[in-house]
Amino acid sequence: MTLKKKARSRFVRFLGKQLREDRTTLQIYSRDMADLPSLVSIFFQNIPDGVILASSVKDIQTIYSVANETKTPITQRAAGTAGLGGSITYKKGLVIDTKGFEQHYLVNPLDQTVVVSPSYVFSDLQRKLKLEGFSLCSYPSSYHSATIGGWIAHGGHGIGSAQYGGVLEQIVEIEVVLPTGHLVKYTERDHISLFVGSHGTLGTITEVTLRVKFDIPLKHQGCTFDSPKELIQGLEEIVRIFPYSVWFLNPEHVALFNETFGYNLPIRYVAIISKEVNFEEEELEFSRLFNNAVRNAGGQILDRRYTEDIWQFRFKSFSMLKQCKDFVVSEVILPIEASDKYIRKLVSKFKGNIHLEGEVISPTHYALMMYLLYDEKLSSLKKTLLNLKLFNLTIGSKKVKGTPYSTGLWFSGYYGKIYGKDELRRYKEFKKSVDPKNISNPGKVLSPKLRFLPIVSLKFAVRLASRLIL
Amino acid sequence: MFMSSSTDWQVDVLEFAQKCIYCGYCSLCPTYKELKWETYHPRGILEQIKLYFTEGTKEEVKLDTSKSLFEAIFACTMCKMCENICLADIPLLKIWEQIRQESFKKGRWNPSMLSLYNKVKDTYNIYGLPSEDRLTWAKMSGLVMTRRTKKKAPLAYFIGCQAAYSGKMGQVAPSVVKILRKTKTNFTILGTDEWCCGSPVFLAGGYSVGKSFAKHNLDELKKLGVKRLVTACSGCYRTFKIVYPRVLGDSWDIEVLHISELANELIKAGKLKLKHKFKEKITFKDPCELVRHCELIEAPRDVINSIPNVRFEELPSNRNEALCCGGGGLLKLNDSELVGKVNSKLISEIEYSEADIVANGCPTCLDTIMTGVKNKGLDVEVIDIAELILRAMGDK
Ligand SMILES: Cc1cc2nc3c(=O)[nH]c(=O)nc-3n(C[C@H](O)[C@H](O)[C@H](O)COP(=O)(O)OP(=O)(O)OC[C@H]3O[C@@H](n4cnc5c(N)ncnc54)[C@H](O)[C@@H]3O)c2cc1C
Repeated sequence: MTLKKKARSRFVRFLGKQLREDRTTLQIYSRDMADLPSLVSIFFQNIPDGVILASSVKDIQTIYSVANETKTPITQRAAGTAGLGGSITYKKGLVIDTKGFEQHYLVNPLDQTVVVSPSYVFSDLQRKLKLEGFSLCSYPSSYHSATIGGWIAHGGHGIGSAQYGGVLEQIVEIEVVLPTGHLVKYTERDHISLFVGSHGTLGTITEVTLRVKFDIPLKHQGCTFDSPKELIQGLEEIVRIFPYSVWFLNPEHVALFNETFGYNLPIRYVAIISKEVNFEEEELEFSRLFNNAVRNAGGQILDRRYTEDIWQFRFKSFSMLKQCKDFVVSEVILPIEASDKYIRKLVSKFKGNIHLEGEVISPTHYALMMYLLYDEKLSSLKKTLLNLKLFNLTIGSKKVKGTPYSTGLWFSGYYGKIYGKDELRRYKEFKKSVDPKNISNPGKVLSPKLRFLPIVSLKFAVRLASRLIL
Repeated sequence: MFMSSSTDWQVDVLEFAQKCIYCGYCSLCPTYKELKWETYHPRGILEQIKLYFTEGTKEEVKLDTSKSLFEAIFACTMCKMCENICLADIPLLKIWEQIRQESFKKGRWNPSMLSLYNKVKDTYNIYGLPSEDRLTWAKMSGLVMTRRTKKKAPLAYFIGCQAAYSGKMGQVAPSVVKILRKTKTNFTILGTDEWCCGSPVFLAGGYSVGKSFAKHNLDELKKLGVKRLVTACSGCYRTFKIVYPRVLGDSWDIEVLHISELANELIKAGKLKLKHKFKEKITFKDPCELVRHCELIEAPRDVINSIPNVRFEELPSNRNEALCCGGGGLLKLNDSELVGKVNSKLISEIEYSEADIVANGCPTCLDTIMTGVKNKGLDVEVIDIAELILRAMGDK
């Protein structure tokens, strides 16, 4: 479905120069971080009909007005760093590039909050905050590219989530243009939570008030463990000392880390723990508690010379991917408790070839990135199969009560699993009330129907394929 | 003797484009930040390269892509922020240069770039002025350079087109010469035989003309027995340090120094004494070509910090993270409005630093910062580091 003549002329009339329809632009806006094999793309129409660079609330309102009138699907895209297909079109229509949003920024030092445009990239915002003695509480490790709006709509966690919570806990107020065109501000958690992980399906985020904190120095410690069991025990102990961040790698990933960054870390499970430390006594206390925690779990303390600079690599872990010709990635959220079996299963399934990287996101859970790395360029078929395999493992983590990281397109239909049944009900009700024509990022969050077999949902098809193939 | 051909210095742009992991870190590109369309995003440029160079791409698609690809490539300031942050270690600068060459081959340069190219080719300087005028700066400042011109010496001072011809840069070359004289350093200059280092030609993608410039300058330097070369221009510095070895191979064996490096060396040897105290607060803007291209970070800071009781403050973005002034990569010729937009971010940082003097090591930065400071009505003096050194030596 290409833009109908009437729709096109309306968009051109109101947004003229901000609309591009040339082939090259459309191609560039047809993918996100996950470059999916061409085989998969037959299921959806990822080349949009046009791209609009929106810069203001008024633009978004105009877009929704014309989109509703002409039933044109719109898909918001910020930095395009998420890999779940949220920012690419499912059934063509227009991509709305929200990075063009005019940027504003205002710190309220008394409330410890900052009001920002959604298009702010984390590193830019953090640089500004630091100049005023403040810091973000939690932020994704895609810090150098991801935007505030994209992180909220994707629903995420990040560095600092162990102490300060995920994206929901960062938001004090959110301003959204609903698909009806109304501009609303929400401050109640119940409302804000609807927009976290909504992938733009409930409206377009136009301003956010985030919680910030004083820029307290971090101290880092490291430890190693011999087995998944010890690692999990270690994490259980470590979360009790209220760390700011806990980041860990499996031995395969440690070996790759050494190769990429020229280190000589022991090839075991390595964890780097960071804590905010105001003064010397606190630092000593951190060391004491940390040593006890690691000892209790049977781990070993890592030489402190390593730990300070390893922290700098937090934002560079994707750099390790350059060592291989092709890769497939997935991410799952797991409870810390008893998840060692799941890790063991992953390691044995891929005969030690799976690379794992985890980040503790709350006192009870962690996010686990799973990478399969290959020395050769994968054929489209092989890549599809591997994607399905990882998909199956992500979904199949339910025995340990694991959930996919977010929905987007690939995990559409798993919203209830991630956020709970009540939230799903609330989400559906809200969606129905604000977007009856389903024009705001269709195909995301709730599983869409296959375009050539409209009685089957994408969720069902992908699940079936992943089961059959494996 | 090893001499490279244009193919030796080329990389497989398609292969590298395919290595992009799409993390988007290169979104810190200063011109993408202003233009905002992903066609200008370095990651987006790599996507266009894939479209353009993949075998079997229809001519029609290629033509379409080339329009936006070439437009994007000339909107680049070559500040190298993208390459420095790239998680996949893609040699982006080489790729951008090659795409500029491709655009040249296809006759797709814009007229002002072509005019610059022709000026440099015909007159050996970027202004299209006669070679005889290369020493006007000396006359204007009352310096007699006859005894220094084309004399045998181990060190040559390479003045560069901007310092030689531009009135705005009038103080740069006299400052360097005075520093060298006061420290009794034996040096020579090429005088009217100095040709443009070729930087703008290479940046525009003109490989063979650039190479003939490199060969000429090398021959002239060799005739004078030069072993070391000092320059106060970061563009020349980068060209000598990075481009000449690539173009000339082993035959380019001359040590290259920025004036801040030479000054630092002279300070350490006790030959250069910085005794004048400054009341003003000083900051330093790292030129992209020094800091990110050539990793020259500490020398200017060491020099400034050698000034007694100096009040030196870093800009918020400094060293490898220094902001681009907007003037690099020949952007001025392509889109002067965009230069202003990029520059305004840097000017805000200068304002934030509350510095009274901004020192710098690049004529292009100097020019754009002067304009930016003037437009914003800031009371800040913008000077080259050579001028700062000279003042710190007590020269009024
Ligand atoms: C190196 C790397 C590290 C990463 N680390 C983390 C991590 O630690 N934690 C984490 O959670 N994720 C991580 N990610 C994934 C990704 O970076 C995040 O999800 C990020 O927050 C997405 O932001 P974005 O600006 O790229 O949004 P996009 O990818 O452009 O969009 C994400 C979703 O938000 C929607 N959207 C975008 N803007 C708006 C808006 N204004 N209003 C409504 N909807 C909108 C889009 O339609 C899409 O569904 C990482 C990715 C990379 C490449």
